[in-house]
This record gives sequence, C-alpha cells and structure tokens, in this order.
Amino acid sequence: MTQWLLRRVAVSVALAWVVATIVFLALHLVPGDPAELLLATGGAAPDPTIVAELRQRLGLERPLIEQYAAFLGGVLEGDLGKSLVDDYPVSSEIALRLPRTLELILAGSLIAIALGIPGGAYAGLRQGGTFDRIASATAGLLLAVPVFVLGTLLVLLLAQTLRLTPAGGYTPIAQNPAQHFTLLALPAVAIAKGLAAIIFRMTRASVLDALSRDFVRTARGKGLSPRRVLVRHVLRNALTPVLTVLGLQMGTLLGGTVLVEYVFNWPGLSTPLLRAVEARDYPMVVGIVLTISVLFLLINLIMDILYAVLDPRVRAA
Amino acid sequence: MTITRRTLIQAGVALPILSVTARAQSTTGILRFGLSASPPNLQPWVSTGASAGTVKLLIHRSLVAYDSKGELRGELAESWSIDGDGAWVFKLRQGAVFHNGEPVTADDVKWSIDQMAAETSTAYMKGQFQAIARVEIADPRTVRVVTREPVATLPSWFANYNTFIIWRKSQANEPIGAGPFRLVGQERGTSLELAPFDKFYKQGYPKLKGIKFIVYADENLRNAALMSGDVDMIEYVPWQSMDAVEKDPRLKLDSVEGPFMDILFNGSKPPFSDPRVRRAVAHAVKRDDIVKVAFFGRGKPLEGVPVVEGTPWYDKELARGWNYDPARAKALLSEAGYANGFQTTMLSTAQFGMHKDTAEVVQQYLAAIGIQSELKLPDWSTRVTLGGRGQYDIAIHGVSADNNDPDGLTVVLDTSLPTTYSRSFQLAAPRTAAALARGRGEFDQAKRVQIYKDMQRAALEEVPLVGLAWRSQGYGMDRRVKGFTNLPGALTNSSGGMLEETYFG
Repeated sequence: MTQWLLRRVAVSVALAWVVATIVFLALHLVPGDPAELLLATGGAAPDPTIVAELRQRLGLERPLIEQYAAFLGGVLEGDLGKSLVDDYPVSSEIALRLPRTLELILAGSLIAIALGIPGGAYAGLRQGGTFDRIASATAGLLLAVPVFVLGTLLVLLLAQTLRLTPAGGYTPIAQNPAQHFTLLALPAVAIAKGLAAIIFRMTRASVLDALSRDFVRTARGKGLSPRRVLVRHVLRNALTPVLTVLGLQMGTLLGGTVLVEYVFNWPGLSTPLLRAVEARDYPMVVGIVLTISVLFLLINLIMDILYAVLDPRVRAA
Repeated sequence: MTITRRTLIQAGVALPILSVTARAQSTTGILRFGLSASPPNLQPWVSTGASAGTVKLLIHRSLVAYDSKGELRGELAESWSIDGDGAWVFKLRQGAVFHNGEPVTADDVKWSIDQMAAETSTAYMKGQFQAIARVEIADPRTVRVVTREPVATLPSWFANYNTFIIWRKSQANEPIGAGPFRLVGQERGTSLELAPFDKFYKQGYPKLKGIKFIVYADENLRNAALMSGDVDMIEYVPWQSMDAVEKDPRLKLDSVEGPFMDILFNGSKPPFSDPRVRRAVAHAVKRDDIVKVAFFGRGKPLEGVPVVEGTPWYDKELARGWNYDPARAKALLSEAGYANGFQTTMLSTAQFGMHKDTAEVVQQYLAAIGIQSELKLPDWSTRVTLGGRGQYDIAIHGVSADNNDPDGLTVVLDTSLPTTYSRSFQLAAPRTAAALARGRGEFDQAKRVQIYKDMQRAALEEVPLVGLAWRSQGYGMDRRVKGFTNLPGALTNSSGGMLEETYFG
C-alpha cells in the first residue's frame, strides 16, 4: 500500500512539472511581449527603445533556458516569482484568491448536492410522475444552457431589472457576512447548475437501478418498512456512483469558475489568470496554472486513495 | 427593527414590489466608481493606460492640468511663459506640499524631469523630455526649461497623465505625489480606495469624502452595476447601453467624441507602399455603416485627418477629403496598376467588438472595389506584436490623439517616428511629418493654423492613416453626482482629474 501510494505521489509530482513546463513554453512561444504590452496599455504607442529598456529590467532578454532554469529553481525553493506588471509576489496573489475560488466551488457543490440528490431520489421513486417529468426536463435544459448565458440572465433579471441583488462583486466575510453571502448566492447558483443536473440524473438512474435489485426485493419481502428499505438499501447503494461523479466533476467545476467569476466580478483566481494571459505576465500565469493543476492532481489522488481503501483490487492493478 | 430590502433578501423573502423603489444609495459622501480595467500599476511616469491615468490624476499633480473646457490651468505652477531665449519658465505655487508634508520645490521639478529623460528611463514622455537640453533652477520657486529646439507645446507635456512631479527623495517603488487624494487601500485587480489629502493646496478641494474604484472588466456588468445602484458612476458606458442610461430618470450620461477608428498600412512593400492605393482605400469605405454597426450610432463619420470640429485647425473642405466615392477609388486603383484589384490580409482583433465590427465593414467595402482581404483576428496581445513587427498588410485600429492641439496627432500621423503597432509601418509620409515639426516650433497662432491646414493637405495625399469614425466615449452617473465634466475630444481619457471637483448634490 505504501509503495503504491509513493508511486502515485511521484506520478502526480511529475505530471505537475510537465504541466508547468508546457505552460511556460507555450506562453513564451505565442506572440506577445509583456514589456511592449504593458507600455501599450490603453492604446498608447510605446517607443521601441523604452520597450527594450523595460525588457532588460524584467530579465526578458535572457535566453529562454536560463529563464526556465530560474523559474524551476524558484519553484523548488517554494518561490513562484513576481508579476512582471507590478512586482507583486505570485504566491500572495494565489494565497488571497484561491480560497475564494474554492469557496465558490464548495458553495456550488453543496447547492448541487442539496438539489440533485433528494430531487433525483424522488424522481426515481416516482418514475414517470409529474415531478419526474418536470425535473428531468429542467435538468436537460440546465445542461444545455451555457453557464455565462444563465449568469448574464440572472444579473439582468435580479440585479438590473428587479434590483434585488447587487450586480456582482465581493465583500469579505469578516466585513459584512450578510452581504458576503448575498454576493455569493448568484455565482454559486450559476456554478451549481450543471452539476445539479448531472447529480440529479445520476441519482435517479441509480435509484431506479437499485429498486430493481434482488436485495431490495428481499428486504421488502422481509417486511421492512418502505422507509427503511429506501434509506438502508436503496440510497446507500445508489450514492456510490454519485460520489464518483462528484469527484470527476471537480475539474469541470474549476473550469466553470473562470466564466462565472468573470460574469459576476467575483475576485477569485480566474480574473488574475485571464489578465495575466492577456498581459503575457509569465510568472503569474505559470504560478496560477501550476496551483490549479496541483489542486486537480490532489483531488484525483484523494479519490484514488479512497477507491484503494474501498476496493483492494485497485491496489493490485 | 425596520424591514429593509436587504433584510428581506437575507430572510429569503424577495418582494419585487419593494425593490423597485428601494435602491442602494451612497450616503457616505464616498463616490463608488466603476473602472473598465484594472490599472496594471500606478507608476507616475510609465504609460499603463487610461484607467491607471484616472487614478494617477487624483493622487499626483504636475505643473499644469486641464480645466473643464480642456484648457491648460496652473497646478503646481501658478504661471508659465516663454522668455527672450525661447526657454519655458514656470513659476511655482506657494504652499503646495507632498503627501508626506514636504513642500514642492524647484528641486523636485528638476529631479522629476531628469528622471523621465534619463537614458534608462521607461517614461512615456522620454522621447519628448530628451529634447530638453537642461533644467535650471533660478530660485526655489522658479524653473527654467531650456530645449534644444523651440517647442510651442511644451506646457501641455505636463498635463499628460504620465508626467507627474514626485518628491525627489521617494523610494523607487513608492512615489510620493501631491494630488488631492491619497491611496489608502487597494486589492490588486479588484478595487482601490482613495481618501482626501487634508493639506491639498486648493482650499475646499477635493469635495468628496473619498473614492472607491471597483474594477468591472465586463462592459455589460459595469453597466448593470450602474443601473442597479452598486456604483454611482462608471466610465466607458457601452454604446448599446447609452440609450438606457439616458432614459433612466435616476441616471445621466456625459459623452464626447474623442477617440477614433482608423486604417493603418504596411508601407514597406507593394501594394500599400503606393499612396494611390492607400487613397483608393480611403475613398472606398462608407463611414456611416461603421458608426451604425460598431457604435450603435454613437459616433460620427471621419472622412479626413482626425482634427476635432470646432477647433481653429478644422477645415470643412479638408475634413471631407476622403469622402466615400467608389468610382474614384476604382480609378485610383487602375492608375496604380491594379485595375482588377488584388488579394490582401486585414489584421484586427476579435477581443474588442468595435475593432472586429469595423474590420468587417471595411472588408466588405474594399471587396466592392476589387480588394479581397482575408481577416486575421487574433487576441489583442498578438495583434500588438504583429503590428509592431509589421507582419500585416492592412490593420484596423482604434486610437486617440495625445491632446486636442494638432501636435497631439503626431503619435498617430508621424510615420517617421520609431515603429509601433498603433502607427502605419514603414510608410513614407515626409511632408506630413515635416509640417507637424514646423507646427511644433511655431509660436504664432495664425501661422500655426496655416501650417496645420497644410499638414492636413499633405496627409490627405500621403495617407499615413485613413480616418474612419469618431466614437463616442461616455461616463454614466447617478443624477446626484455633480461637478464632473467629460473633457472634450482627445482629452476624454484625462477626465478622471475632474473627480477632484465632483460632489454629491
């Protein structure tokens, strides 16, 4: 088990390094010069001599291999470097904003679970009923509507037309908890929509599957109350695939936050990432992508360990 | 406990009926302002865009600034004049202090100018400031700026938002300025907070108790934030939303036409090295369609050199020098040896709708005279690099002059300057450049008017760029926001300085 775990960790670390390297190289290979872009902000016409001066100052004139070596050395020492735009430490930016992105994902997941599991179970138990038909259609619709369309509609309806909620933004929880959660509501709902639909479908299918199993018939035959049959036998067996889906969907959620954070002006990790890509702010882009990749690998690793604990056959493979 | 809209929301009881009348209002005297972009940094001398300029104009001061009519007014300098030797002499104001309480002296002015002109400087005005031979300090309140050549427009250099006077003992990354506000807090890329500076040299200013800048990169969300009352004021109202802002009884719109769209050429190779081909392009496009398609009617056709109407330099005839005339365009093409047209490429960006929409309209009109162009619409960063390297044939661009003096057009018209993405690439327009230089060195107003009309005539023939459309640039605000003026023409991007005089009425 220990050996298997060590191997998995080593593979994850290697993957993180590969991702960082690919991002680093890809960014340097696409056109766009951070020094020129910074000086050309707002359509100004930068003088080439000034651009050259700034490139020199930012260390962009060094050979690529040297820049890469400096970057790797920094990462090994736990230093992700500084932004080319304003010298701000990349790690400070991540430390400030990563928790907010995670909060959004967590809130979105909770909403999705709260809607998807009970809804899916009920729809499965009452297959073909009115609720099942309406809920299934809604789930299909939610999956089809892009997240930014839903987000924009929510802003238009609730903020701009009805003036019920702010149009977007962020207030730290310490400053004003009520406002913090008001601002969290819309983006969390927007992020939850796809996952809620997936969980709903998965739960519904699992419940239908479990209901037709022999052990459920046996349990019923033994004269257990329908409620006990449902909780002890149907739901317990039905939730395992749902958890698998949740683990798999975490990556999709991370991707979805980019759009949601933009639409709702939620200052998580996506805004600085987008801005850094536009400005070709190499250290910032690589630092943020590396963080997200490590997070992703970590989630996968945890899922793998959980499976290994649950199912010895995994370890043997 | 009084039931407010907020408590209802918190209780999960949202009543639309209540919310229509209720609205978040700023009662603190702090203005909440929606910025369109996050200032990359607030370096006082480095150009990092108009949003950064807005903040910089409030925390720093220079010798002069623009008043609400767009005329120069004294700031750290109370007066300026040209002396017998052709040098500019600035008299400094009494009682101006930096944010640390140190007085603003001639030494600080000289130091700031020298820093901008230094060999290793990355200042926006480095080129201009290197034309300064020396800065002399006659006495603690008098600065004499001696230039190598006479420069009529020198005072306006100090009104640019990248030319501030900084305390000469400032730390490298902590410039100390003398503006009406101090930066008291910021979250990188999200918001900035300013507080009034209590020792500001103008009595009774600033009028606001503070300003909170909040960045809304998405234009629709920025507009939604204004409409829903999240903020009191926004910059760059999206064109498609201007009607809604004007019609809303709680809001008002202040818009001017300043920036413009233009066509740039790669003049280093045929066919666009031939001015006749460039003139053909200039006559081929129907500008009204660009105003309609790209700017929802919020703009004006531009059929000549971008000189603002109503200024002394404007000439009604010259302003229509490139009028829409497809027959003439075709004749010019034939004359240049392209009777059957040709294939080419058109560079712009899909990142900004107005660039893409303008490019699509131009593409159609060029096709009508036989010029088939393939659109290339990469992201903005790539477009900047390709433009700077001259890796294009035609480019569609949006830009603004430096100021409303025709000398401010040098940055877009003078193709003898070093290559950059926002000017045509290696294009010969010697008469235009020469006229611009003459105007810069001439102090007599009547003569300058003549020179700049000659410059326009030269440019109409040499075609260093093709003007397409003026575009409207608007600030949207709550009706209670008073005292703000959107500055005329090219100065609209400097309007941020007006927030010093803004108050809630």
